[in-house]
Amino acid sequence: MRPVSSEFLVLKATALFVLWVLLSGSFDWIHLVLGGVLSFTVAWINSGHSPFVPKFRLWGNILLYLPWLFLKIVQASLHMSKLILNPALPIDPRLIRVETKLGRRAAVVLLGNSITLTPGTITAEIDHDIVPEGLAIAPDPDALLVHAIDETLARDVTTGTLEAKIAEVFKNEERRW
Amino acid sequence: MEILSVLFILAGLFFLIVAAIGVIRLPDVFSRAHAVSLTDSLGAFLMLVGLALHEGLSKNNLKIIAVLALLYIQNPVITHATIRAALRAGLKPWRREPS
Repeated sequence: MRPVSSEFLVLKATALFVLWVLLSGSFDWIHLVLGGVLSFTVAWINSGHSPFVPKFRLWGNILLYLPWLFLKIVQASLHMSKLILNPALPIDPRLIRVETKLGRRAAVVLLGNSITLTPGTITAEIDHDIVPEGLAIAPDPDALLVHAIDETLARDVTTGTLEAKIAEVFKNEERRW
Repeated sequence: MEILSVLFILAGLFFLIVAAIGVIRLPDVFSRAHAVSLTDSLGAFLMLVGLALHEGLSKNNLKIIAVLALLYIQNPVITHATIRAALRAGLKPWRREPS
C-alpha cells in the first residue's frame, strides 16, 4: 500500500465538497457544515486503501478523446438503427478477435469500454484465457473477444483506429504495469 | 428553446423505440444486447439533452450531467458483464446460415 499524502486528501475533500454544494444548492450553515464534515470523512476513509494520485494530463487527454468516441457512437447508432428497421434484418453476428498491443491495464479497459459503448460491438472477454467449449476461437491473452452484429461494425474495431487513438491518450504516461 | 428541447426528446424517443423493436426482432441475447446499448448511447443522451435545454441554466442541469456521466460509465460495464456471463454459461451466439 502506498502512503497517500495529506495534500491529495485535501484535494479530494475539496472536490467532494464542491460537488455537494453544487448538487444541494443550498447555502445555509447546516448544509455547508454537514457537507464539509461528510466530504472530509469520505476522503479520509478512502485515502487508506486506494493509491490515488491525480493525473491531470491523462484526464485531459481522455476528455479530448471523448468527443471523437461520441462521433463514432452516433455513426454506429445510425447504422444499428438501419439494421433493426430493415424488414430483411440483414444482421450477421460474429465473434471476432481484436488484437491489442496497448499492454497497460487501464488502456485495455478504456478500449474494451469504448467498444462496448459503441452500439453493435460488445467486448465479451478482456484477455480471454477462458473460451467456452464449442467456439471456433482459440484462447489468446493478448486479444479481446468481441461480439459484433455485422461486418461493417466489426471492421470498425479490427482496423485499429480506436486502438491508435487510445495509445495516443496514454502516450505520455510512464508505464507502471 | 422549448421547440429545440422537444425536438431532442422526440429524437431520443425515436432511438428508444428502435431499441425496443430491436429487442423483439433480434434472435438471441447477444444481438439483443446490441439493441439495448442503442438505448443508452443515443436514446438516453438525446432525452437528457432535451431535458437540460428545457431546464435552462439551473442546478438541475448539473444533476443531468451527473446522470449522463454515470450512464456512460455503468452501461458498458453491465453489458460486458451480461455478455461475458452468457458466453461462459455456454450460450452459443446465433449465426446466419451460410446460403
